[in-house]
Parts: sequence; C-alpha cells; structure tokens
Amino acid sequence: MKKKIVSLLLVGVLTMSAFAGCGKKETAKDDAADATDESGANAMYVSDDENTLTAAAWDANFNIPALKAAEKAFQKENPDFKLELIEQPDSKAIENAVTTAAQAKDYSNLPDIVLFQDHYIQQYVTNYPDAWVSIDDAGVDWSDIGEEKASFSTIDGKHYGFPVDNGTVIFAYRTDILEECGYTMDDVTGITWDKFIEIGEQVYNKTGKYLLSMDGDGNDLPYMMLQAEGASQFKGGKANLADNKTLEQILDVIERMQQKNVLLLANDWSGYTNDIQKDAVAGVMNGNWIIPTIEQVAENSGKWEITSMPTLSGEEGYASNGGSSLYITANSKKADLAKKFLAYTFGGGKGAVDTYDNALRDGGVITTCISAGKSEVYQEGVEYFNGQAIYAKIVEMGSHVKVVEQSDYHYTAREKVAAAITNIHNGTPVKDALATAQEELAFAMEE
Amino acid sequence: MSKSKKGMNIQAKQQRAGWFFLAPASIMIAVFSFYPMIQAFLTSFTTGTGVNVKKADPLFYNYTRMLADKTFQRSVGNTFLYLAIEVPIMLVLAILLAQLLNNKDLKFRGLFRTMVFLPCATSLVSYALIFKSLFALDGLINEIFVNLGILENNYNFLGNTGSARAIIIIALIWRWTGYNMVFYLAGLQNIEYSVYEAAKIDGANGWKTFWKITVPLLMPTIVMTVIMSINGTLQLFDESMNLTMGGPAFSTITMSHYIYNNAFGLGVGKFGYASAMSFFIFVLVAILSAISMKVGDNRD
Repeated sequence: MKKKIVSLLLVGVLTMSAFAGCGKKETAKDDAADATDESGANAMYVSDDENTLTAAAWDANFNIPALKAAEKAFQKENPDFKLELIEQPDSKAIENAVTTAAQAKDYSNLPDIVLFQDHYIQQYVTNYPDAWVSIDDAGVDWSDIGEEKASFSTIDGKHYGFPVDNGTVIFAYRTDILEECGYTMDDVTGITWDKFIEIGEQVYNKTGKYLLSMDGDGNDLPYMMLQAEGASQFKGGKANLADNKTLEQILDVIERMQQKNVLLLANDWSGYTNDIQKDAVAGVMNGNWIIPTIEQVAENSGKWEITSMPTLSGEEGYASNGGSSLYITANSKKADLAKKFLAYTFGGGKGAVDTYDNALRDGGVITTCISAGKSEVYQEGVEYFNGQAIYAKIVEMGSHVKVVEQSDYHYTAREKVAAAITNIHNGTPVKDALATAQEELAFAMEE
Repeated sequence: MSKSKKGMNIQAKQQRAGWFFLAPASIMIAVFSFYPMIQAFLTSFTTGTGVNVKKADPLFYNYTRMLADKTFQRSVGNTFLYLAIEVPIMLVLAILLAQLLNNKDLKFRGLFRTMVFLPCATSLVSYALIFKSLFALDGLINEIFVNLGILENNYNFLGNTGSARAIIIIALIWRWTGYNMVFYLAGLQNIEYSVYEAAKIDGANGWKTFWKITVPLLMPTIVMTVIMSINGTLQLFDESMNLTMGGPAFSTITMSHYIYNNAFGLGVGKFGYASAMSFFIFVLVAILSAISMKVGDNRD
C-alpha cells in the first residue's frame, strides 16, 4: 500500500510539473521571446497590450535597426506605442513559420508584423491568402514608392506590403586597381558586356584579380543581367527560358567571362563573401545590401566607387535584386494600429524621413520612398566610397529600374538557370542547356 | 479495494498492468507517427499549392507525375549511388574496426572505441559544415594538397560532380562507421570465446575463423545494420542540403532534399506532390528491407 501511495505521488508530481511547464509559456508571453526552438529561431507571439505590436525580422545589422528607427519615429506622436522585435536567424525561419501555420490553419503563433522577402511574397499570398491583411486602406501614397519595389507586394491589384529596403543593383569597382590597368570609372560606365570582358581580361592578367564574382549557387547574376535588359525568365505566367534570345546572349556572356577569368563563381554564399573580403576581386555587382560586406575590409576605405551595370547594348543598366517588405499577418488583432504605424513610418507618412534617415545611419538601409530619399542624410558623401554620395546615387538609379514579370516560381527558375550555367561550362551548347532548363521549369510549374 | 478488482484473476491483472504500461508510448506513436502518416497519404492524392488544394484528377496524378519528373529521377539515381557505394564500404570498415577493437590484448581499447564512435556525437548540420569548409576552394585540404605538390591549383571539390559526390560519401563514412561498429562490438561480445578456442584447436586460421564463425554468428546484427543503413541513406538530407545544396546542376541532390524543395525549400508549397514522393521512399525502404531480411535469413 505504501509503495502505491509513493508511486501515485510521483506520478502526480510528474504530471503537475508537465502542466506547469506548459502553463507558464501560455501566460507569460514575454518569456516566449526568450524561448528558442532547435533552429535558433525565437518563438513568435502577439502581445496582449493594446499599444504593443510584435514584429519578426532577421539581420541585426540591417533590418532590425530600421525597425527600431521606425518605433522611435512613431513614438513621437504616440508615446505609449511599443514595438517588440522577435529576431530570427534568417528569412527562411519566417517563411517556414508561415507555411507551418497556414498548413495547420492556425495562425496564433504568428506576430502582428513579419518581414518577408520580396521574391517569396507573391507565392505566399497566392498559396495562403488567409494569412495576410490587405493594406489598401492604410492611406499610403503609392506614387511616392518606387514602382518596381511596390510591384512585388501588389498581388491581383491589392497592396499587401510596406517597403523597407531597396534592392537597387550597384556595380562597385576598386578604382585603384582600375587605375593600375589604365581605366577610370567612366570607362566602365555605360559599356557593353563585351567591352567589360575586354577590361576584365586586362585586369586579371595584370593583377590576378577577377573583375566580377558571384555566388554560383543562388545565381543572382543572370536575373540581374536580364532585368537590366528589361527581360524576364517568365512570359505570360509561363517559363520563358528556351528561345529567349536575351537570356541566350547573357548565358553566353557568363560563360565567356568564366573562361577568360573575368568572373569568379563561388560555390556558395560564404565563398562569395570570402572572395570579396579576401581581396580576390576588383568589382562587386549586387543589390546595394552588399555594401556592408564590402565595407568589412577597413584598409580598402576610399578605394571603391559605384556605378550602373554594363548591358548587352552598352546603355547604362539598372536592376534590383533582393530586398524585403513588412506584412501584417491575419493573427494581428491590432491590424489598424499596425497599418497606422507602418504607413506613418515606412509607407512615406509624416515619420518617414525620420525613420529612413536613422535606418540609413544605423543599418545602411536605403529607402525606395522617393520623398524620403531627398533628405540631407542621403546627400552626404561616404568616405569608404571615396566621398561619393552613393545613397543619392542608389536612389536615383533605383528610379530607372524596369518592372519585369515576376512569378511564384522565381527561385525554381533560378535553380534551373544555375544548373544551365554549370552545364554550359561543362560543354553543353547554350541552346540545349536552356531547352533542358525550360522543360524542367515548365514541369515544375504544372500544378 | 473495489469488488471488480478482487474478482480478477492474476492473468487478467497482469494483462491490465501490461496494457497500462504500453498505453502512453502507443498513444504517442499513434498520434505523432501514424496519424501524420495517414494524413500524408491522403495529402498525396491532392494537387495545388499551399492551401489551394483540390483532389487530384486522376487520383494517382502525383504518382504518375514522378515518372516524368527528371529532377526526381536524378535524385533517385544519386541516392542509390550513395547507397551502393557508401553502405558496403562503411559496413566492412565497421566490422573490421569492431574485430580489431574487440581484441582483449589491445591497449587503450576504450580510448580507440571512443575515438571511432565520436563522430556520431556531432550534429548532422555541424559536421556537414565542417566538411564544407575543409573542402572549400580555399580550405584546408586544398592548402595541404597544393603545398604537397599533389595539386597544381586549388581544386573546386564541391563544384565538380565527381568530387562533390565523393565528398558526400566520405563524409557519410566518417559520420556513420563508428555508429555501426558499436552494434558489431555488442554482437561480437555475445559470441562465446570457447567457440574460437575450439576453432583454434581444429587448426582454423584468422581468416577462416572470421568467415566461418564471426560472420555467421553476427548475421542478425549485420542484417539489422544493413536495414538501418539503407533506411538512413534513402532518407539522406542534411549532407545534400548543407554540403552542396544539391549542386552542381542537381548532380548531388537526394530524394529527401528534392521533397523538401517541393514543400518548403523554394517556397513552392506543393505538399501533395511532396507527400507522394515521400511514400515512394517509404515503399522503397520496405522493399529493400524485405530483401535484406530474406537474404540474411539463414534458417532452412
């Protein structure tokens, strides 16, 4: 009998502690911010306080300072307002959280606001329409926002996202190396890719440095080159890889660049950033969010300058790559407050200049909001870039970026084009490689 | 004490206790394993992306789609390549190491055993990342090979099909040999030493003892490790994902990685198709396990 009582007691204690463990998480929502799951992602939640919004975002050096700047700007008129940031290791953590919540049809684990990658959002609004809140009634003047940026977060004519950063592509060159080879920034501005290869060959032969490098895995390169031509990998919602003359020419350029040691294709992202930071390259072309990566090498300060991209025709090329926007989730019971807050700050409202100025100072986040880009901070020269007013230049270049057809299958297309580049490098003719890519992409797009 | 309890005989009481102890685990397995499996099976008959799903028409659409999916077929080919090369090498190595480390006269036996087993204690992702940095273009292996004069220039191990596959296989062998060795060690310790003594008296040499005594008596363990290795290799994911991202040009992608890409990886959200492919792996594992059980069964 005694044994029975003891065992009953033990079982009781066990169950109690199990319940206590669960209960704690339910009630103390603030603790949830400290709870991390296996992948290192912080648990997402909404706050019970009526003046507090929660937002999930990644990148403590970039997006998070921008959100903090927005909180400060909004607090000027709404002193009670609080924004709780739930930091995530990467964008994937948020994408997976939305997928999981939507598949389970339970959005209660999402925060009020999420930062979401531009290239993914179309897919996610199509797949999970119930997960998002349309912001058409937020009172944003969309003519003040870069057209290309807004095109990502506009789905079926409805606006869903507030812009944060700017993905305008910069081509940064090491002016000292160009000079060593007898070139100036003017010689690399508004040139054809053929001319670029010519210069690149000289630079490699003289200095052993590549004029361009890229991550062979994610393959931003063909996308950016295509956009600079105003072309897309899609046409009328269908794959447009085979018989795409522009793409054929671009892949041919990429292959020639590889053969002539003008382009260094790294295996993955860390290889790519390594190449930049180890001084193996004399030029970097990517979305302007690559600037902090370039700036890591302090001794190269003052040696870099930026300009537009080469194109096939020799006109100045403009493209945009990457970037993210803020979205309100269906789990938010304070959607009106969230709309007010985001429209006031990131959406070009009264707090926009304040928000974007501090976002630029603290995180290097550049706006796509045209009026905010005219503030004084944007006109300042940047020492690292030889005193060039790069931010004003980027905002200016951003206004020329052409809107190209986007697709839910953006990343699938990139993967197939990346495979085509590898196959071409291994000897497959361009046309055949693209035919294979077309076939595989079309297959993947069947529903 | 209630009346009904008193009325039970001993057998019934014991049975009740048995059920009582089995229940929690069984319920958990049912809820967390079997229920999702059934749901996944139902999902595999739907098409569409995300929540916009509808019943597949024809019903086996996702299953017939696999037959036309070249990337999936490549991933099946890759996985079987890993299976065919990695599993035999690994199991032979494991059995040899177990034999060596089972030697009673060996000094520092515990230390060696720990060293061989230690890779299993590292997480899949972190060991994949370590291999990645070892074999990177400017990694340690390239540095050593170039300095020794074996290679002239840094070789892009992970960027070329052959070497990328070889690295995945080497990584797998490093990670899993010690794990299988432990099973063999346990199996070896169950073999009576007197059997070996008898063989020695009869004049059998080491080679003969190994093939005529050790292997037959280890058969149940061997069958188990073969099944586990087949199962594990067919579900290979972390190495493909973290070491090579499936590249170059899908030449190292595994089935599970491709399934992940269809469900989560590229944000495509084709859960129906992904589930169907998962069931394809399920059937493969079942068939291969059945074959190895039949082969390993030496009852006449």
